[in-house]
Amino acid sequence: MTTFLETNRRSLTRAAYAVLAILVLLWLGPLILEQRPARLIGSTITGLLVGGIYSLIALGIVVINKASGVFNFAHGWMMLLGGLLFYSFFASGSVSPLAAGVLAALTVIMVITTAGWGALRSPRSLALGAVAIVVLTVLLSLSGAEWQFIRAIAGAVAGSVLVGLVVERFTIRPLIGQPLFAMVLMTLAISRALNGITQLIWGSVEIPLQVFSWVGNLGLPMPIRFDARDTLGGIILIRTELLFAFALALVAFVAFVLFFQFTNVGLAMRAAAEDQRLAQSVGLRVRIILAVAWAIAALLATAAGVLQGGATSLSLNMPLLALLAFPAVLLGGLESITGALVGGIVIGLVQEWANLLFPGTQAGTELAPYVVLMAVLVIRPDGLFGQKRIERV
Amino acid sequence: MKKIALFVVLATLLTMLALPAVAQDAGLPDFIQHTECQVDLTGQTIPIYHLGDLSGSYAFITQPLIAGLGDAIKFFNEHGGVCGATLKSDVGTEYRDTGGKREEAQAAYDNFSSLNPKPDLMVLYASADAELLRSQVAEDEIPVIISAGSVAGLYGEDAQSPGWIYATNPLYADQLGSFCNFVADNPERFPNPTIGYISWPGAFGEAAYTPETISYCASKGVTILDTPEYFLPTATDISTNVLNLVDAGANILYTNSLASGPFLIAKTIVDLGLQNEVQLAGVNWALDTSVGLLSRTAINPDNGLPAVNGLIGSLPFYWWTERQQPGIAFINQQAEANQRTLSSRNIAYLLGWSIVDMYIEIYTQTVNRVGSLEAVTGADIKQTIESMKYSPLGLFNFDYQGGAIRALPDNRIAQMAFLNKAQNGPATSGDDALTVDLPDGTKAFVPLLIPLTPFSPAPDLRPGGADVP
Repeated sequence: MTTFLETNRRSLTRAAYAVLAILVLLWLGPLILEQRPARLIGSTITGLLVGGIYSLIALGIVVINKASGVFNFAHGWMMLLGGLLFYSFFASGSVSPLAAGVLAALTVIMVITTAGWGALRSPRSLALGAVAIVVLTVLLSLSGAEWQFIRAIAGAVAGSVLVGLVVERFTIRPLIGQPLFAMVLMTLAISRALNGITQLIWGSVEIPLQVFSWVGNLGLPMPIRFDARDTLGGIILIRTELLFAFALALVAFVAFVLFFQFTNVGLAMRAAAEDQRLAQSVGLRVRIILAVAWAIAALLATAAGVLQGGATSLSLNMPLLALLAFPAVLLGGLESITGALVGGIVIGLVQEWANLLFPGTQAGTELAPYVVLMAVLVIRPDGLFGQKRIERV
Repeated sequence: MKKIALFVVLATLLTMLALPAVAQDAGLPDFIQHTECQVDLTGQTIPIYHLGDLSGSYAFITQPLIAGLGDAIKFFNEHGGVCGATLKSDVGTEYRDTGGKREEAQAAYDNFSSLNPKPDLMVLYASADAELLRSQVAEDEIPVIISAGSVAGLYGEDAQSPGWIYATNPLYADQLGSFCNFVADNPERFPNPTIGYISWPGAFGEAAYTPETISYCASKGVTILDTPEYFLPTATDISTNVLNLVDAGANILYTNSLASGPFLIAKTIVDLGLQNEVQLAGVNWALDTSVGLLSRTAINPDNGLPAVNGLIGSLPFYWWTERQQPGIAFINQQAEANQRTLSSRNIAYLLGWSIVDMYIEIYTQTVNRVGSLEAVTGADIKQTIESMKYSPLGLFNFDYQGGAIRALPDNRIAQMAFLNKAQNGPATSGDDALTVDLPDGTKAFVPLLIPLTPFSPAPDLRPGGADVP
């Protein structure tokens, strides 16, 4: 008997999983069949679109992890900060040229000194930097409502790149070569610092961000609503703002797949994530790689913050949304771009389906995503698309 | 001549004796009538200890509370304080931010309760904090004032053990019962009333959904569905939750949430095109200014007004627009003088003023009884709270009926609307509404509340309460 179990362990495990899956399907099947088609379609669409937001957040976390192996607990606060930066430039009729100049100068200085402060002694770098500062200052100083989008995008991009680079330069870079755990703890400290900074500057007031009002002005429906009560037995709702978030998540996904597969920086990031010391020893400039990763992650966080802020509002609750992206990251695999996209969508779908199938239970908000996460991790400990690692004990 | 001299001496003595009592109320408006001081507390300080969420889900309303407390303390200190004593509540020392976290609330309480001397009165804000600290404040003998609370927070798990926490609003369960009364009294407006309960998870969000409330409402002909829906404050889309309730027959959605909570429900109702089929209602916090201001991003296409226009809820105190009430007129003046923004002029700002006025009366009565500020204990304050009748700034009636209750019963029902251009009533459409242009090119509508019923006691729906069927 023991020999039989030993020799057929893999097959028996798979059979057990299959039986479990069948039981779950038998349990859920009748509940699904009870639903009207419109509700099933509606919840599926909502799950997909909300999953797009989770994917976008998860992508930012994965980019940092892929480049440095660090799980960034500050990502939620970077989202809120990015959203608030966007709001500040969006809601202000005009920005003082002095403030615009300072932001532009700080951002450009941080960018050109990514490899080291020595770049400030290079005439070529200084000349390029001066041009960049002037251009950025002009963009940030554009006054009038007709320029608010360009001003806000420029401000949010400059601000979030600055935040990403400052965080990397002054908190993460000094820890290169140290145990990863130190960097992870540092991200927790960063989250507390960003919490304080956002409250110090913007207070704790909830801010409506009317970034999608232009969609209505273009005559596009906000939201898209199908009243299919006569045919499918209900109303199907598609939130236009979430549709944008989903589209952006898909674009970001394609861009990052290409980036990590086919660009030198992308390949270098993957190498640095494997072993920072080894990467340095073969001539890879780990400092630049980390800086690029943090800047990209900050940009992704800002995009997610603006989209989520536009869909609901900018509030101190927003960073908690990143907690819902954590299971998405783990589900997909810590360093997998595909995993971030799929994980986010799966979590979104599971939440909505649980809300639909188990009304009045809080299963969707509190339980289902984590049950699915546990189930997947039991079967695939590295996540759906994570790399299998075998470590010698 | 001797008679005149004697009269002068007597008059001088009387003036000297009466001076402390007069000093406290020097320059106070006539409608603020504190008990006369019998002890001069000049040079002493009375801290208002307070722990609450300044950086989490409730931060939206906590900031104006701090503003209200600050403005009121400044005003009353300039007008004699508490029998000459100075009130004080500084963020970081007397006020501790909990971020809405239990462990932070516990840490803040531990810090306050270990002070020497320990506080003899405190202010709380969140139902969850009340539930967490209920037994601890009883053990430490520190009475607590909270704006509203859950059954468990005020009466314990068995609902039969009145503790040391006193709510100045009706229990959340009683507020829902009060709303059911209103629905039952208006059958032409609500012909077949079925309530779907939708809220945030947690002590506050779930506080009104109790078996007693459900059976009370059923006895009034109002059904509450047995499948409450809960969504997180971070939720992006709650259309599935709303449709679950509507499909189950709900034509009224009731929420025990605040700020973005009622806003998101209202937005979803309008997005689903159900604004003519579903009435949104909620707890007193749902009528807050914050909800009206947030809602400008979700416009009802039928009338061009924010989606929360028409929201019905509890209003257990006077509101900003009721300027015929002297306390409200006075607070309006003070908010103007302190240049408080529209978003600050909310429930919590009113609460801040009433708390300070209550503190003055509670301490005055207690010190008069025990003889000095140093001699005051939490038990003395509790005795005062349970024996006094007072109306802080005339906003509500502070009367715990000799210690029989822990939540003030008076309530009324009101409706959220938006000010019209003539500034003399509610707007009927977006074209008729008064709007304020904002720098981002959008417009803010000015929210106002219209009372629909007079004040009357909310039903007592504690387990075993007088009105439980």
